[in-house]
Amino acid sequence: MANQKSSVGIRGMEIKTLPKHDQSHISYREINEDILRFMTQTGPGYYIVLGALFLLTILLYALPWAYQIYTGQGVTGLNVPVFWGVYLVNFVFWVGVAHAGTLISAMLYITETPWRRAIARGAETMTLFALVIVTFFVFIHMGRPWNFYWSFPYPNTRQLWTSFQSPLMFDVFAIGTYFTSSVIFLYFGMIPDLASLRQSSTGWRKSLYRVMSLGWRGTDRQWHMHGKACMFFSSFIMPLVVSVHSIVSWDFALSVVPGYSKTVFAPYFVTGALLSGFAGVLLMLTVIRWFFPIMKKYVTAYHFDRIGIIILVLSLTWSYCTLMEVVTGLYANTSQELEHLKFKLLTPPYSYLFVLMIFSNTLVPLSLMIRKIRSCEIGMFFICIFVLIGMWLERYLIVPNSLSRKFLPWMWHDYFPSWVEVSITVGAVCFFIFMFMAFIKIFPVVSLFEVKEDAGIPMKKGH
Amino acid sequence: MKRREFLRILGIGGAGTGLGFVLGKVTQTPGAKLIPYLVPPEEIVPGVANWYASMCAECNSGCGIIVRVMEGRAKKIEGNPGHPVSKGGLCVRGQASVQRLYNPDRIKGPLKRRGQRGSGDYAEVTWDEAAAELAKNLSDLRKSGEAGKFYLLTSQLHGHLNQLAANFMSGYGSPNHIQYELFQNRNLLYANQASMGLNTIPHYNIEHTKYLLSFGADFGSTWLSPVNFSKGYGRMRQGEGARGKLVQVEPRISVTGANADEWVPARPGTEAILALGIAYAMVEKGYNRAGDASAWRAALSAYRPKEVAAITDVKEERIFEIAKEFAQTRPSLAIGGEGLSSYENGASGLVAVNVLNHLAGNLGVKGGVLPNPDDPLRAAVDMNKRITALASAAASSKVKALAIYNTNPVFTTPKAAKLEESLKNIPFIVSFSSFMDETTALADLILPANTPLEDWGDGFAEPAAGAPVYTIMQPAVSPVFDTKSLGDILLSLAKSMPGNMGPKLQAQSFAEYVRNGWKELYSKNRAMASGTADFDDFWDKTLQNGGWWSQEPSRRGLSVSTGAASANISNKPAKFDGDEKQFPLYLITYAHPMRLDGRGANLPWLQEIPDPMTSVVWGSWVEINPKTAESLGIKEGDTVSIESPSGRISAHAYLFPGIRPDTVALPLGQGQVYGRYAKDRGENPIGVLPLVENPKTGALALNSTRVKVSVASPTGRMVKMEGSTKELGRGIVKTVSPEEFSKMKKEA
Amino acid sequence: MAGIFDKVKDTLNSYRTPGYFKKLDHKWTMVVDLDMCNGCGACVAGCYAENNLPVVGKEDCGKSRAFSWLRIERYVDGEYPDVKVKFIPVMCQHCMKAPCEIGCPVYATYHNQDGLNVQVYNRCVGTFTCATYCTYDVRRFNWFSYKWPKPLDQQLNPDVTVREMGVMEKCTFCIQRITAAKDKAKDEGRGVKDGEVLPACCQSCPTNALVFGDLQDPESRVAKMVNNPRKYRLLEELNTDPSVIYLKRVMNDGKSEE
Repeated sequence: MANQKSSVGIRGMEIKTLPKHDQSHISYREINEDILRFMTQTGPGYYIVLGALFLLTILLYALPWAYQIYTGQGVTGLNVPVFWGVYLVNFVFWVGVAHAGTLISAMLYITETPWRRAIARGAETMTLFALVIVTFFVFIHMGRPWNFYWSFPYPNTRQLWTSFQSPLMFDVFAIGTYFTSSVIFLYFGMIPDLASLRQSSTGWRKSLYRVMSLGWRGTDRQWHMHGKACMFFSSFIMPLVVSVHSIVSWDFALSVVPGYSKTVFAPYFVTGALLSGFAGVLLMLTVIRWFFPIMKKYVTAYHFDRIGIIILVLSLTWSYCTLMEVVTGLYANTSQELEHLKFKLLTPPYSYLFVLMIFSNTLVPLSLMIRKIRSCEIGMFFICIFVLIGMWLERYLIVPNSLSRKFLPWMWHDYFPSWVEVSITVGAVCFFIFMFMAFIKIFPVVSLFEVKEDAGIPMKKGH
Repeated sequence: MKRREFLRILGIGGAGTGLGFVLGKVTQTPGAKLIPYLVPPEEIVPGVANWYASMCAECNSGCGIIVRVMEGRAKKIEGNPGHPVSKGGLCVRGQASVQRLYNPDRIKGPLKRRGQRGSGDYAEVTWDEAAAELAKNLSDLRKSGEAGKFYLLTSQLHGHLNQLAANFMSGYGSPNHIQYELFQNRNLLYANQASMGLNTIPHYNIEHTKYLLSFGADFGSTWLSPVNFSKGYGRMRQGEGARGKLVQVEPRISVTGANADEWVPARPGTEAILALGIAYAMVEKGYNRAGDASAWRAALSAYRPKEVAAITDVKEERIFEIAKEFAQTRPSLAIGGEGLSSYENGASGLVAVNVLNHLAGNLGVKGGVLPNPDDPLRAAVDMNKRITALASAAASSKVKALAIYNTNPVFTTPKAAKLEESLKNIPFIVSFSSFMDETTALADLILPANTPLEDWGDGFAEPAAGAPVYTIMQPAVSPVFDTKSLGDILLSLAKSMPGNMGPKLQAQSFAEYVRNGWKELYSKNRAMASGTADFDDFWDKTLQNGGWWSQEPSRRGLSVSTGAASANISNKPAKFDGDEKQFPLYLITYAHPMRLDGRGANLPWLQEIPDPMTSVVWGSWVEINPKTAESLGIKEGDTVSIESPSGRISAHAYLFPGIRPDTVALPLGQGQVYGRYAKDRGENPIGVLPLVENPKTGALALNSTRVKVSVASPTGRMVKMEGSTKELGRGIVKTVSPEEFSKMKKEA
Repeated sequence: MAGIFDKVKDTLNSYRTPGYFKKLDHKWTMVVDLDMCNGCGACVAGCYAENNLPVVGKEDCGKSRAFSWLRIERYVDGEYPDVKVKFIPVMCQHCMKAPCEIGCPVYATYHNQDGLNVQVYNRCVGTFTCATYCTYDVRRFNWFSYKWPKPLDQQLNPDVTVREMGVMEKCTFCIQRITAAKDKAKDEGRGVKDGEVLPACCQSCPTNALVFGDLQDPESRVAKMVNNPRKYRLLEELNTDPSVIYLKRVMNDGKSEE
């Protein structure tokens, strides 16, 4: 626990970090009470926001989608040859947002990075709901969403089987696995907390937690098993950090479309996903800290500092990949690649979008070199916003943009999202926040038992 | 579960079932029941198609078609593979004619005007009422001794319908049957008559020619007989022997020009002079194969290539080159199309083309100009029966009744003709149109006639195939709406008229009339009778084959005399209205490959299938050279105003390098007021044209004005299907040079 | 050892052959002679009539949603007065190694035993992947439920389904005509004769630029035409192995080498 190292980096290229914030003065009881208070003591403002979000979800998300299902995909801006538009952009973007959850809960768990504890639950929750959004976007983008289940390989009277050579089929499995394991991991990690809350809550909460804690009593044996299981799931999920977004990138990279068919895509997408994922987590933490000062006790400047460094590293890696993407195209020196690049880099409005993307994803995160900015809440908030916008633009510049300039110039056609697409995109954000806000009022957003590990009172470790 | 609860659930379930049943009944579409044929019609086998041979009437080329009919509905029209004109192919317009048959905007039954003329307020009436009304009006007129004040205005009619109309008019006592269409080949008929003594349009044997010199003939999409010529074009390019070469002379690249090996953008209005310059070059260099060189040199002395080059904007060397190649490639062929004919002196240009063919020895040879036999039912076209004659007669109230069929002159004549105003003077107008259009809208009575797929008829194809081609048109389906054949209308009208209408209108129906007519032809023509038992046998075979044709070529000899030529040619470029300074650009209007003169505008396929040269759909445009556009500050898609001394319209700019910088081009056919697909599609280019008529033929000159083009306030948007027309070195349409190709051919 | 390796390789390769069929029944092929094609568009009209293609109207045409399964592309080179215009009809190339077939997760598009790239409308869920992967942009999507105003619907070909909203479609080489010809041949106990199957476009072509036939039949016209030295295939460098063969246009455009 007494890891007092206050810098990261190698060979003298250390970046100064904040010293670990000591939380050993917080007592178990305090933690339990804080979290329960956070969950139960809800002001009217919260309900108003929640209600507003629900309304917005209905108006901006559900109704336009219903309209789209009823009328047809024609209400979008899609055309020949740009068949993949904003929905696919959102799909890739939200898979990316979902990524930090895995990384924090699995990779950092295995490497026993201590600062992950306070934020892991929040990140996992984000993952879960981001994946819900992802799944919905898959359905939204389909021409006949009512037949979505045809893409699952199950024995059926139609004697149909799915095509395992299709990258979309890989997606079904990648995202299916990711979703399932995320749910299990989230729930599993929550069991001891639910048990703690069972003790101190009343009413419907008590019944809910009683059922959901699956008879957890905190015996040695249970803790032992729990620790083992967490380790197992972490190891299981860890490859997903790399695989899920690699597979998503193959949706594009396995085609022959100029702008899609690039070998750099898998690492490029994974890096981008983690970048947007961490930005998303940090944004969430900032907002939670603002509205619930109680959480400042658990989510400290130290976390900001650490995540800031990760974002910096990811941003640099991402920038390298972006450079490679462009250079590979230039190096190919075929009319197809050059026209695609010309369209992406030099044709307004896409050239502006490209500049904005580079500004948000490369230049803005460079400021994270400065420690003051890393520990500045407002600064981090805006950096995260920029990174998220930049990452969304990156996907936009890849997905519909490449399709606008395919092989036969006769069929070149531009794409502009329609109001339905814009509305559903915004609505999805509302839907996400709504789900997240509802969730954190029912389940603990901070992992009680893990924070208690930090609280400095000796207890048995799980392994 | 308690008993009460059980009953409640049972009740809800029962009510639900009942409600479902009621809903099902209410929402059931009427007529959703399957009714088996009690006595199935003989020719209908569900799922099995019948093919009926007939004739396409979308243009005047008379292609033989076969119509696929299933369960009594026309499904698809294809070219009749045995027919010598269409040879199994069919153009866009012919294939779309099934949408004329099933057009939702057809007039569904007889209508009688209720409101003001032109207000479009019509009351539905029965056929008996409408026919009685028509008969009463016409018989009153006849009784008052003013039969000559009845005018019949139709499109160019063919075969027995034409004969029946003539019989009707002579029986009624009026000489005024005017046949009018925008593209009627009047100039071509006149030029061939004047220079070669032909009453019909000859067959231009593109198939076997090795050097085709085309003066504004868009034979691949609109000119004369596009399907037949296209079939020939394919064979000319990749048939037997060497590959034929195509040289296109026109100010704007047409669909055919796009396929040419060489494009000669002569100055608009000077193509005829260019043709004569080439002729002079041939004579001067001694290339000519026919005609007396010295006589021709004298006749053509005004067309020395040097002067011609200055007038036409074509280099002198090029004129000599073309002359040499044209004369020395055997066989060669020169044709003059709408582009040439549409000038004010169009007929003389066509004579010039005949001179070229004469000098090169192309007349009457395979791969040249082959004469056609005369139409057995029609003598020469009367050039004096013109639309302007009708307009002036109507303006001076010399027209008391007018019947209109299948033509829309209000749409296709320039404003200066004042046709609409004049027609309003006519006390009684009856229209036999199946569609509401600008002219029919003036009618007091509308008796909708069948569309060609529902009708009987026949045609003696011009320009045919150098041999007699008699094509029959038979109904492929029964009338979709409450319409009747024009032939039937005229026959029954003749019967209901008091007084003698002559002996030729006795047939009970038009079908019978056509059959009787063919019987007469059969009895006169021994070639028809060969191989058939009797007329009934012949008739069955004719209906099955789609007509009768023979391989027997016409033996008529063709030549052009210096006298005939000199009388018709002129060394003055065609006149263009408007001052050169004020109106700097020549205006070329052309028949659109899909909509022709506008008749195809309400067929959705013809709006949706992109124009071959611009890919514009559902709209109208003006083609401008990019350089000209740049100097005028016009960008692609801009709304521009096109102003001539006669009027102003607006259109969207399409920038196209294949047009002379001093020329702009407008396609005809859009800008109609009626029809759900045709309306709101830009403005009618006829609106900027002056009324210039060829004094000898009455053909309207469509390329007869200069215009001024300027950016106008934006209206609507031009929709084109092309993304980019630049190939960017991607090797999409790969090519081989002609030299390499001939090497390939030798090796093979 | 090498023998086993080859055997494994052959087995794996056999799975790579389209449709997993050892041998195709037919290999339907279209030959397009670009020197004969004059760009008139009759083939497009034939396709509209035969295959129940809906008319989408101006607005949707502007969004590039026109339904023509077959389109004529026009490329323009040069400036006035040296302007070269070239036409090329582009329809589904029925690639033997089709990118679209890789993309579909539900096997809505696959290769059948006739060498055709077929689209099963019933199976399509509308992921757009096939159209995105298609290198020729020939796939069309039913953005809406299209309606034919009465009585235009009476023209609809009963041999071809009217596709519902949300499915992808494309040129089928007029598979209904192929099936009909095969049925007829089977009834008469013979093989399909050359020229017996004519897709609507080939049938209507006024210049006979489009020729259709079975490449496996050595006597067929297409089998003879593919030996033409002018032969090339569209975007052949992408290795999609298209079944449509183009014959180069004879033209002086200053670059005849490729």
